[in-house]
Amino acid sequence: MLNHGEHPRRIASTGRGQGSLLAGLLVFLALAGAPLLGLAQDAPGQTAGVAYRDIPAVGSRNIVWVIAQLHLLLAGFVLGVPIFAWICEIVGWKTGEKRYDKLAKEFTKLLTSSYATTALFGGILLFMLIGFYPKLMAYLGDIFFPSFVVYCILFLLETATLYLYWYGWDAMQEGSKKTLHLFLGFLLNVFAFFIMIVPNSWATFQASPVVIAEGSDLARAWAATWNPTWWPVNIHRLIANVVLGGYICGAYAGIRYLSAKTAEEREHYDWMGYVGNFIGVFGLLPLPFAGYWLMREIYQYNQQMGITLMGGFLSWLFILQAMLIGVLFLGSNYYFWMGITHRIPGSEVKYRRPIMAMLVILLLCLGVWMTPHSLVASLEEARKMGGTHHPLLGVFGVMSAKMTVANLMILVTFMSFIMYWRAGKEETAGWAKVAKSIMGGVLGVAAIVVIVLGVWGYFVPAIVRINYFSVAQVLIVLFVMLTITPLTALLLRSAKTTTEMVWGRMPPRAGYALVLNAVMVILLMTLMGYARSSSRVHWHIYGVMRDSSQYAYSPALGYAAALMSLNTFLFCMLVAFIFWVATMGEKAKAGGGGGKG
Amino acid sequence: MSEVALLQVIGLGVIGLGVAILLFIQARFVRVVGFVMIVLGLFSMTALGVPQMASLPPAEEKFDVANIKTASDMAAIGQKIFFSKGQCALCHSIGPSESARCPDLKGIGSKLTREFIYESLTQPQAYVYQDYRHEGLPKEYPARMPYINKNPIGLSNNEILSVIAFLQQMSGEPITVSPSEVTQPAQTVAAIPVAHAQ
Amino acid sequence: MKGGSLLKPAILIVGIYLFLKFALPLFTAPLPASLIFLYVALTATGIVIFATLSGQSTEAFFGPITRFLSGEGQAGAMKMARLLVLVLFPLLVGWQTYSSTAPSEQPPAENRTIHPAPPGEFVGLSNPIPNTPENVMAGKGLYAAFCSPCHGGNFDGKGPASRGFNPPPANFSDPTTIAMLQESYLFWRIKKGGVGLSIEGMPWKSAMPRWEVELKDEQIWKIIMGEYDGAHQKPRTWE
Repeated sequence: MLNHGEHPRRIASTGRGQGSLLAGLLVFLALAGAPLLGLAQDAPGQTAGVAYRDIPAVGSRNIVWVIAQLHLLLAGFVLGVPIFAWICEIVGWKTGEKRYDKLAKEFTKLLTSSYATTALFGGILLFMLIGFYPKLMAYLGDIFFPSFVVYCILFLLETATLYLYWYGWDAMQEGSKKTLHLFLGFLLNVFAFFIMIVPNSWATFQASPVVIAEGSDLARAWAATWNPTWWPVNIHRLIANVVLGGYICGAYAGIRYLSAKTAEEREHYDWMGYVGNFIGVFGLLPLPFAGYWLMREIYQYNQQMGITLMGGFLSWLFILQAMLIGVLFLGSNYYFWMGITHRIPGSEVKYRRPIMAMLVILLLCLGVWMTPHSLVASLEEARKMGGTHHPLLGVFGVMSAKMTVANLMILVTFMSFIMYWRAGKEETAGWAKVAKSIMGGVLGVAAIVVIVLGVWGYFVPAIVRINYFSVAQVLIVLFVMLTITPLTALLLRSAKTTTEMVWGRMPPRAGYALVLNAVMVILLMTLMGYARSSSRVHWHIYGVMRDSSQYAYSPALGYAAALMSLNTFLFCMLVAFIFWVATMGEKAKAGGGGGKG
Repeated sequence: MSEVALLQVIGLGVIGLGVAILLFIQARFVRVVGFVMIVLGLFSMTALGVPQMASLPPAEEKFDVANIKTASDMAAIGQKIFFSKGQCALCHSIGPSESARCPDLKGIGSKLTREFIYESLTQPQAYVYQDYRHEGLPKEYPARMPYINKNPIGLSNNEILSVIAFLQQMSGEPITVSPSEVTQPAQTVAAIPVAHAQ
Repeated sequence: MKGGSLLKPAILIVGIYLFLKFALPLFTAPLPASLIFLYVALTATGIVIFATLSGQSTEAFFGPITRFLSGEGQAGAMKMARLLVLVLFPLLVGWQTYSSTAPSEQPPAENRTIHPAPPGEFVGLSNPIPNTPENVMAGKGLYAAFCSPCHGGNFDGKGPASRGFNPPPANFSDPTTIAMLQESYLFWRIKKGGVGLSIEGMPWKSAMPRWEVELKDEQIWKIIMGEYDGAHQKPRTWE
């Protein structure tokens, strides 16, 4: 499965952002190739030609797995960074703080080189797919030909916009020119979004195909594009890309911070790490909701696939996912908390207690989340429990509990952020007391309601829980964020700063925490990519085209995890290389400087 | 050594190397690489520690003319096609379904003649039956029936016959498709089957 | 010795371990080792996170450990203790490695997927029998005749014959069993029984009989209705 699993991803990846002439050329070749293959298939039945090709020893699946994953991660990065850069640019423009603009520009510079690398991998991937899976590619090419064309056009537009955006940065600094530049950034993101969703349609079609009736090429491609999981995947990936961009920025800052030589550098990269972590967390908070929606659509599309994922052979994968997300939440909060204790002198004693409370809640939630429904138990232990479900803790194993703790963890992380925001400031407004008790009340009530709904969820039909309770939990958490954030902003407008934040005093482990978070996000993406692919089990296109190659099985988690780790490592090295190349010039100018990120 | 054991050894090796780097090397970037190695190694070791389950594909069904002896052989093959290559189950259910995108096919073999089913599969728009089994306007279904004998589904004549055999058997009807109608691969697939009806 | 900031975490970890291992089983079934390990590991993670939040707390936490291990200015009992740790720790690791790889009669800890994905033929079927009181009653009657010996007259999996089975018969009144599943899933399980489980259902194939041999489809559907009604659960649906 994996293997078929892979393709979707590969294909998806093909789609995602590339740039540069090279990429365009590759895509063009591929496009030219696809219809040819399609024609070949239409030629009189029986002599269909090869369905698969393989490379001995390594295996076609493993190669495609690695290349597709690298392409997808790079693509996620290339799509996430413009969002990230654009937001930073706006903040810089609105607040007049030049360092945001500088940060945005620094990252856009990375964009140009990573864009080309992404395209390079996309091209390699495409050749491999055509080489390894001619039958599948012919089938997809036949259906999706019109969207290939759209994709190419988008590509040209994206590339042109990117060049304008990057090379015009300094020229368009002032007045209405700046507005134009911001608009270019907006356009860049719009094109990038479409560049992402077009290939998503190819991949989601593989997972949730719809029947294609006769019709014009365009009508058929359109019908196939609007498959049930298309939009959930689009939204999920969009948010995940922001998270990826943010955390990678954080990790970059972390490494630069570790090797910084001057106080000025330390300050700058400490601050950059903070911004990266903040944007990462910002994206992370709504991500579980998007994931939940996707899962729901999958279940509704096909119960079989839903069960394979959640209760079937992939169920352990979600325990690993819980672990990674748990580390990510802990890591992000840890960074926030360290920010409070180190950047705001004298705050340690004051915040010790609330931090401890948050930590305990996070760990309790994590404990619930990571408790599997069917436990690993020896025969003896299982006999005592009467099966692999524990009579008491078994209740933690189901969705109701997991949804509840996920929402609570989001609430806690949000509070960490608010606490960080308010640290070192003293509210002067007359209504500060009232506002603070309202916020406390909202938060307390929200937490209680989320828990009550979670417990109650065991006693109502599944559909009520899914349609009303879970949705209500999500809405409550969103409501909390949407009320407390503006309230805090208002409160702090009149607040006086009692203790100035001091940048550049974080200990080295803060840098490592940032790196850890980035690694977790990348691992999560590789893990869930495997889940998405494997959920199709032995189908290239679920229920339509069977995988009849020798790689039709899905490998076990251990083997898959080894490949995921390899992919993560290779991706980190690639990104490090890109960053290093991109900052070489800057270093030459500055004369010296430490390691690279 | 089993694959899992081998991977565990590799994982431990990677962690060990990472620890060694952190202990003995001072260069910042190398240290970060070592740290990442430890994290990835730990992740892999955890994944190797949970139950290892691979998912194997079920045996593949081949439509082998030589093996067809009886009409119920055909129906058995037809059932496989119904749920896989024919993609029928993407929309149709057998028995009332909560998520059906198309009419329920339960008992279809006794409601419709073999010729009608054949026509519905190969010329789906020739005669559209509307569902009046409830109040109000006839029920509209979101999907349109594709041509089953053309791309992308492209079932062969033999396969269509098998599916009809399955539909009849499933409805508790005698199967009116006989194995003798199956064309041998050498012959060209031309128009035949509808001609001789029951 | 400033052991104070180390003492509390140590007590906490040991306390949690003892609670999970000995106190909790007084009220419910004992926890498997894997779960205890998970919870203790989480506790330890929390302690490290909390201890390393600020410079002073890090020093207070790791300082004594480093000093103890590096043996700076130690004498007498402390010195002995350090040597002991340095000798015993590798032995412990060795023993652990040995015992986890040595052959034993214990079957390996296995995990069975309780709810593997059903075959395509069973996906999305809905119950063709109208949900009338008579049908539900008929279903309960069939349940009493065919199912209750194992699954219990109270739908709690505690029928007179249940004690002989491992895994035990499903407890329908538990909200994490049939309430999580669609009726079509139950139809599959009842009709095809333990032998119809897919490979993920290994290694303990269930002893559930293949009821298609004895019961007609509509009887199975009625039993399903009777089961949900009797266990006070509702099937999972999408509308």
